[in-house]
Amino acid sequence: MLRRLVSGKPASIIVCLLAITAIALVAPAQDAAPPTPTDLLIKNAFIMTATHGNISNGSIYIKNGKIAAVGDKVTAPAGTALLDAGGKYVTPGIIDSHSHIALDDDVNEATSPVTPHMMMIDAFDYHDKAIYRGLAGGVTTSMLLHGSANMIGGQAIVIKHKYGLNRDAMLFPGAPRSIKFASGENPKRVYGSRNQLPSTRMGNFEIQREALVQAQDYMREWDIYNAKVKNGDKDAAAPKHDLKLDALADVLRGNLLVQIHCYRSDELLTEMAMAKEFGYKLRAFHHALEAYKVADQLAAANVGIATFADWWGYKEEAWDAIPWNAVLCLRKGVRVAIKSDSDDFARRLNQEAAKTMRYGGATEQEALQMITVNAAWIIGVDDRVGSIDVGKDADLVIWDGYPLSSSAVPNRVFIDGAVYFDRSLPGYGMPQFKEGL
Amino acid sequence: MIGALRSSCFALVASSLVMASFAGAQQKPVALRGGKVLTVSHGAIENGVVLFENGKITAVGTASSVQIPKDARIIDATGMTVYPGLIDSETALGLTEISAVDVTNDLVEPSDEIMPHMHVYDAFHAETELIPVTRLNGITNAIVAPASHDTLPGQDSFIQLAGKSPTDYILVRDIAMPLNFTGDQRRTERGEGRKFPSTRMGLAAQMRQAFLDAQDYAQRWSDYEKKKADYDKSKTDAGGTSDKDKKLPPNPPKRDLKLEALLPYLQGKKPVVLAADESSDLQAAVNLAHEFNLKFILNHISHSQSVLDYVASLKVPVIVGPIYEAPKPDERFDAVYSLPAQLYRRGVKIALASYDSHNARNLPYAAGFATGFGLPYEEALKAITLNAAEIWGLSDTLGSLDVGKNANVVVANGDPLDVKTDVKFVFIDGQEIPLTSRQTRLRDEYSGK
Repeated sequence: MLRRLVSGKPASIIVCLLAITAIALVAPAQDAAPPTPTDLLIKNAFIMTATHGNISNGSIYIKNGKIAAVGDKVTAPAGTALLDAGGKYVTPGIIDSHSHIALDDDVNEATSPVTPHMMMIDAFDYHDKAIYRGLAGGVTTSMLLHGSANMIGGQAIVIKHKYGLNRDAMLFPGAPRSIKFASGENPKRVYGSRNQLPSTRMGNFEIQREALVQAQDYMREWDIYNAKVKNGDKDAAAPKHDLKLDALADVLRGNLLVQIHCYRSDELLTEMAMAKEFGYKLRAFHHALEAYKVADQLAAANVGIATFADWWGYKEEAWDAIPWNAVLCLRKGVRVAIKSDSDDFARRLNQEAAKTMRYGGATEQEALQMITVNAAWIIGVDDRVGSIDVGKDADLVIWDGYPLSSSAVPNRVFIDGAVYFDRSLPGYGMPQFKEGL
Repeated sequence: MIGALRSSCFALVASSLVMASFAGAQQKPVALRGGKVLTVSHGAIENGVVLFENGKITAVGTASSVQIPKDARIIDATGMTVYPGLIDSETALGLTEISAVDVTNDLVEPSDEIMPHMHVYDAFHAETELIPVTRLNGITNAIVAPASHDTLPGQDSFIQLAGKSPTDYILVRDIAMPLNFTGDQRRTERGEGRKFPSTRMGLAAQMRQAFLDAQDYAQRWSDYEKKKADYDKSKTDAGGTSDKDKKLPPNPPKRDLKLEALLPYLQGKKPVVLAADESSDLQAAVNLAHEFNLKFILNHISHSQSVLDYVASLKVPVIVGPIYEAPKPDERFDAVYSLPAQLYRRGVKIALASYDSHNARNLPYAAGFATGFGLPYEEALKAITLNAAEIWGLSDTLGSLDVGKNANVVVANGDPLDVKTDVKFVFIDGQEIPLTSRQTRLRDEYSGK
């Protein structure tokens, strides 16, 4: 019993920790082990599934951290813990497909415009309270991307907001690898201000093309070598391993999801043309504030967008941004996510998504999908999270108030079936993290 | 002469541009009938009527109690919400167009910390694309303030988001003066380029000296006025003919625009908007204000949770936020979100501001969000209407739906504080504002309309 209550830690360790705390109040709390998920039946909830409409007075049965059943007539084995949601709204955990939290400013290795081998995992500052603040806003999964200083920035990580656990316990297990490309003002400004290439959009794209050509050459060298080895040539010399080109080769082989920071419509088209030229697929354009101008082409190429609801005017390439972008694209068949790109917006993505109901008339479910299942698709984890469907991870938010409004506040947030945030608790409101306050 | 001609030609051109979107005085009475009227000052009226003529509200009441003139334009507001135009208590509207493009920004003079003689109205660009975007969300009035890089960056203007000519947008020039003491005003150059003031001590000393200089300056002028009066009197007494006339009149002191600008504040005629975040900065700044008997309004106080009783004891209004300001690492997630409610519970009059320009249109959602953290709904609405009008001394004309006030009225299809609500009509001075902007034009162009 005690084991279950206190995150699966043996009682003796707890006692020991308490003793240490009593002696030295400043002793830092230890990263917690993942809590053992408790099977749970949430009942009397207004369930917004994000994929198959709403269920009033519904129930969700959570077993082993997964959604085992959802509906208006759900039963659970006798003895299963019960949680009466009191009619509150329940949504899937929010998914942020573009975040730069928890990186301690290590967002850009802005010393070269092509750095595909920069691995975000090496910079993951998992104690950053921004993870907690996003969690308190209902976010359960985020993709941490590189910035846009470089044309090719590096490889992302996907995390679950299990604040209080150790580093690797926060990583989304088995999430596909994503790589961040950029374009437009940022690379040309960063390098142009140093009188380096690129300082124009011409330079931007040439740098990208050049890197991909190098990767093609590199792959060819390896292909020749491998063929020689296969033919029994014992004297064949292996080409030198090059981390950077290995990463780009993975792009060309389709092993990485390509996420491109891109604003202007002409650049969206150029990026799609280049992907076609080199034979790789694009997963999503990020920001994509002019996507509404070329939505047909995006839809035809099955490229998603991760965009802002209404942010605009902060730079020249954001001057044609309109808040109807998301819904205009959606209506053309583009998969649309609303993302934060900000520690601030990450705390209230539900409000940002709700704006699409006003600007263009997204339905409630469409709006919700933009911060759940569509975002999950962009990250490549939509088979695991993003909706309240049987078999998916039990990542859920119980809300105080209607979630798609400006006044809603998460009441409780579950990840893999365990409570990570509970507004009613004192201090930070985190059962898994009790340091300070 | 040529100069005057040229400037009047310019005025004609400029005003004709604006006329396209704002036809000027209200032509005939308008009655908004059948909606839920949120008066802000005296509750909500279901199935209400708001009537306005010649730019002023002439009646507010239930449908049965208000006599609608025969020639009135009647707008059916059934199912709608009718509320006063929203007031944003800090923006940079008209001082910026594209944030990252420097030539489009007139936000602040960074060369010196003491710049009270910078007047927002001298830079205010009425034809900014940002204003139509903002008023589409029912914001009809705003404070325009210089950016907060300086301790005394200049003087605010109070605007309405429409006007017959560019100058008509500005309702009150130099309405207040920001005094920023958040630590961000320190000079950050290091090494040999290090400059005064690089600490809060320096910032405070520099301001103190400026106020002392202004007091001296005022004294010199008052001495001069006295001497001048004596001189004039002696001239008059002597009938203007005696030898005494040969005594020369006193020389006026040299005018100093910077010090002159501080005088209305030192004399308590206008409020200083005192910005601080941390409780330590707040107390230091308040002490400085007390030292010079400044009348003040507090601004931000985002991380002053430990001294809210002290804040209440000051008996001054607070522009609080932005409530989206991140809590400090050791603070609970809602430490800043809940500040408006915390202050309200202590009896403090609060207003909310967007502290933005491009995103000023989202002001009502900040108020809505505050209700999620304990601020009563009516108070949240007041924080962006009547409280703001009262704080800025304009509650005779703005901030609520009351007879005699300016007809700044919004009609929307739902709760004014919710993100999903669409604004259907905006009236400023009784004049209907076209609900178009650069953004709606782009939308229409690319959606085949």
